[in-house]
Amino acid sequence: MRNSRVAYPLTWRVMDMLENVCARIWPASLHRLLPYLMLLPAVVLVGLLVLGLFQIGDASLRVLDTSTFLFSEDYSLENYRQAITSGFFAVVASRSLMGSVIVTVITLLFALPYAYLMVRTQSSGLRKFLLVALFLPFFIGQVVRAYGWLIILGNQGMVNEALGLVGVPPVRLLYNYPAVLFGLIQYMLPFAVLMLAPALTAIPEELESAAGSLGANWVRTFRHIVLPLARPGLVGAGLVVMTLSLTDFAIPAILGGGSQDFIANAIYDQFFRTSNQGLGAALSLMLVAVGSIMVGVVFAVFGAGTLAMTGGRK
Amino acid sequence: MSDQKLLSMPVSRRSVLGTIAAAGAATVFSPLGATRVFAQEPEKPSEIIVRAWGGSWVDSLKAGVSDSFTKMTGIAVRHDLTEDNEIQPKVWAAVAQKRVPPIHVNWDTTTNATKSALRGVTEDLSDLPNLKNTTDLAKPVGLDGYPIVNTYGYVYVLAYRPSAFPDGPPTSWKDLLDPKLKGRIALYNDGIGFHFPAQVAGGGKLEDIPGNMQPAWDFIAKIKEQQPLLGEDPDFTTWFQKGEIDAACTISTNAREAKKNGIELAWVVPEEGAKFDTDGLWIPKGLPENELYWAKQYINHALDKEAQQVWLDGLGLPGVVPGLTPPADLANDPSYPTTEEAFKHLIRISSKVQVENESVWFAKFKEIMQG
Amino acid sequence: MIGSRSKTIVIWTFVAIALILLSAPTIVVLGASFTAGNMITFPPQGLSVKWYGAILGASDLRQAFIRSLIVSAICTVVSIPVGTLAGIALAKYKVRFEKAIQIYLLLPFTIPLIGSGIGMMLVFGNMGVLGQLWPVGIACCVINLPFMIWAVTASASNLNEDLELAAANCGAPPLQRFLYITLPAVLPGVITGSLLMFILALNEFLVSLLLVDARSVTLPVQIYNSIRSIITPDLAAISVVFIVCAGIAITLLDRLVGLDIFLKSK
Repeated sequence: MRNSRVAYPLTWRVMDMLENVCARIWPASLHRLLPYLMLLPAVVLVGLLVLGLFQIGDASLRVLDTSTFLFSEDYSLENYRQAITSGFFAVVASRSLMGSVIVTVITLLFALPYAYLMVRTQSSGLRKFLLVALFLPFFIGQVVRAYGWLIILGNQGMVNEALGLVGVPPVRLLYNYPAVLFGLIQYMLPFAVLMLAPALTAIPEELESAAGSLGANWVRTFRHIVLPLARPGLVGAGLVVMTLSLTDFAIPAILGGGSQDFIANAIYDQFFRTSNQGLGAALSLMLVAVGSIMVGVVFAVFGAGTLAMTGGRK
Repeated sequence: MSDQKLLSMPVSRRSVLGTIAAAGAATVFSPLGATRVFAQEPEKPSEIIVRAWGGSWVDSLKAGVSDSFTKMTGIAVRHDLTEDNEIQPKVWAAVAQKRVPPIHVNWDTTTNATKSALRGVTEDLSDLPNLKNTTDLAKPVGLDGYPIVNTYGYVYVLAYRPSAFPDGPPTSWKDLLDPKLKGRIALYNDGIGFHFPAQVAGGGKLEDIPGNMQPAWDFIAKIKEQQPLLGEDPDFTTWFQKGEIDAACTISTNAREAKKNGIELAWVVPEEGAKFDTDGLWIPKGLPENELYWAKQYINHALDKEAQQVWLDGLGLPGVVPGLTPPADLANDPSYPTTEEAFKHLIRISSKVQVENESVWFAKFKEIMQG
Repeated sequence: MIGSRSKTIVIWTFVAIALILLSAPTIVVLGASFTAGNMITFPPQGLSVKWYGAILGASDLRQAFIRSLIVSAICTVVSIPVGTLAGIALAKYKVRFEKAIQIYLLLPFTIPLIGSGIGMMLVFGNMGVLGQLWPVGIACCVINLPFMIWAVTASASNLNEDLELAAANCGAPPLQRFLYITLPAVLPGVITGSLLMFILALNEFLVSLLLVDARSVTLPVQIYNSIRSIITPDLAAISVVFIVCAGIAITLLDRLVGLDIFLKSK
């Protein structure tokens, strides 16, 4: 064994064999197709969702008959008409759309310095601390976490008690729109930081030093070096935060006090409370469409995000 | 036919338990007595799955029905704590796809169960022997036969914190409009339990439901100005505990549970009345023959007087078997109606009217509250 | 970090706020788990470990926890090759319709979880595989897949085409180039992504709820269901056990690979 490794290591032989197998099943002439082959498993996996979407699409075209709780045999656009004309869904939709944009901006505002410090600090202890602080909240489920906020921000919570000491009467801090946005930001922050960190890692620190030595102050360095180079990461993180907060269900349900529903809550109600899967399905598909259009707009405005690099290199 | 005969055999629970004791738990193979009829008893599954609400709800069911069922038959009972709303699409999908449903017995609100019955996913339960000992309450209104068996009733009371009502308990739902209660009241997030009393409080008539419910919506719009919190069962307990609210429209069981946990709480049925409704048990279609048989036995057992007594003592709710003794703390309580007189203060609307209009009512309520 | 004092102050202000935001509820819940009372309160009413005793005694919780670990493992194992390949393909090659493909691959985030759950319940139901654990693992993988892909693409700027060309010049065949040059370059992203996938699968409840039954229920679903009745300190204790497990996992990872690897690569 040892002998052979010196002469021609086993691993090399295995590699050669694998190379041959690869070359056999995927000849170089097909190389143009390689990226598509690499994308295939992901496309197939997401295809499971698309299969589900077809089922949902079918349901969205059928109308519920509340005297039998069966759905109509024939197709109609009634559910969509109902969803579009209802003032209630318009309120809920604009609330979630606006919410997702606000949450995205504020989350990125906090995530960028956090990720920057985590990546740039010389102290490996600090880096680990920052990293662990990111992951810990995940392990307290969203519901229990919300309960934690109730203890802190509730009418008899710690903050109000502290305010009481200086003579301020209790303020309702929870169960309103800002509370929902606050909860979403808290929930999204770790995702954004983790999406941003690798992109910031990729920016050579020397580049910043160079800018500094050429007389740029740190704000200018940040604006002209860090931000443009971090753009792929920012776009990626922004998309993640935006789409997830647009479709979130738990936080509006728990921190909204029942009167701050997002679209996903309205969909939940249709599916689970009034058993109207048709209307729920129509709302789901419209939300998917709106979300995808928003993603497309971001691509159009800010470039293809993570793909900017290849684009530049051609 | 033979099935029917089997089920209508009078069975004495005492003699059964006696047999079990004599035979020893390990060797029990025929719970209903070693008579020749039961030689044909279908094969027993090792367990059956019963959907239940968590917390004190499942604890009471276990103590009253499940444990004694296991003792009697040797079949273990596993409780699935998925919410009734959330199990529904799972069961419906299973029946539509001709799969074996994920549960054997569903403990459900009568309204929700009626939807499933209308859709035709429930097994008929008319042949349960214990049904003949039940009151009218057990029979679902507006449905043929027994696709569901109602097992008890409950009231959506006005629960309140006595310290917030120094001048005495509230007497009317209109008392919730008191400015000092602004931001201090809570309702269910779909308004369930509140629509009908609101109709009366808003000056309307119950007979106008569902035709004209404008009075209810007007009253609910006024309540909206009070900025109520909207939630579900656990939220009420939490909010009372943490001092977020002083009054709520909620099921008496939740209020009683919170009180047991040391929260200062009382409840009334206001002068406009309070909604009375029922919960029941049903079996989804698509079970193997033998499991269906034992699932029916479970529901039959849940109608046994002794089982009802223990189960409903835990819930503090009136059952469907005559002669049950109310828990000591609920004697003459308006949330535990036993007399004709007590029922007069309660509002009962047929589940058929409810299921047909519920989604419209929920939507309307949400529209007002989310606006 | 280099730079002026003002830069340090600004950055630390943001980080401090973020740290408080992230940690405050965790600390409260941690503390509350040691309460002797029957309610989650902070500061706790008297110290005791009775709630830990309560969850240790519950065998259904233990089984649910093991099921959750299996589900998370399946999710992570599937997502690593799938997400890595897709991420590299998007970052390294010029793909036609790449924006359309990106929008498609973001579907798991644009479809609300309830829709995904219902859809996959129907799909897996048609296949007759509901009640097993692997569909739950696959489902958790699908709904979080963009994290994996994006984590990889975000670190793909480390890819150096010149290095690959040089290797090719030296006669390295394609697979070898992929294994020794491309893959190590995106490794930080792969590790970040896998960690996220594992943790998210360990905590997923909304989609899982529709895919499990009483015999295959996972821990987050169990917790979600029990929260529906009343919130007691045992939930806080479970969270703490979760955190401890995570702590051990992270320490191990740090010892074995070094946490710095995916933050300070190169």
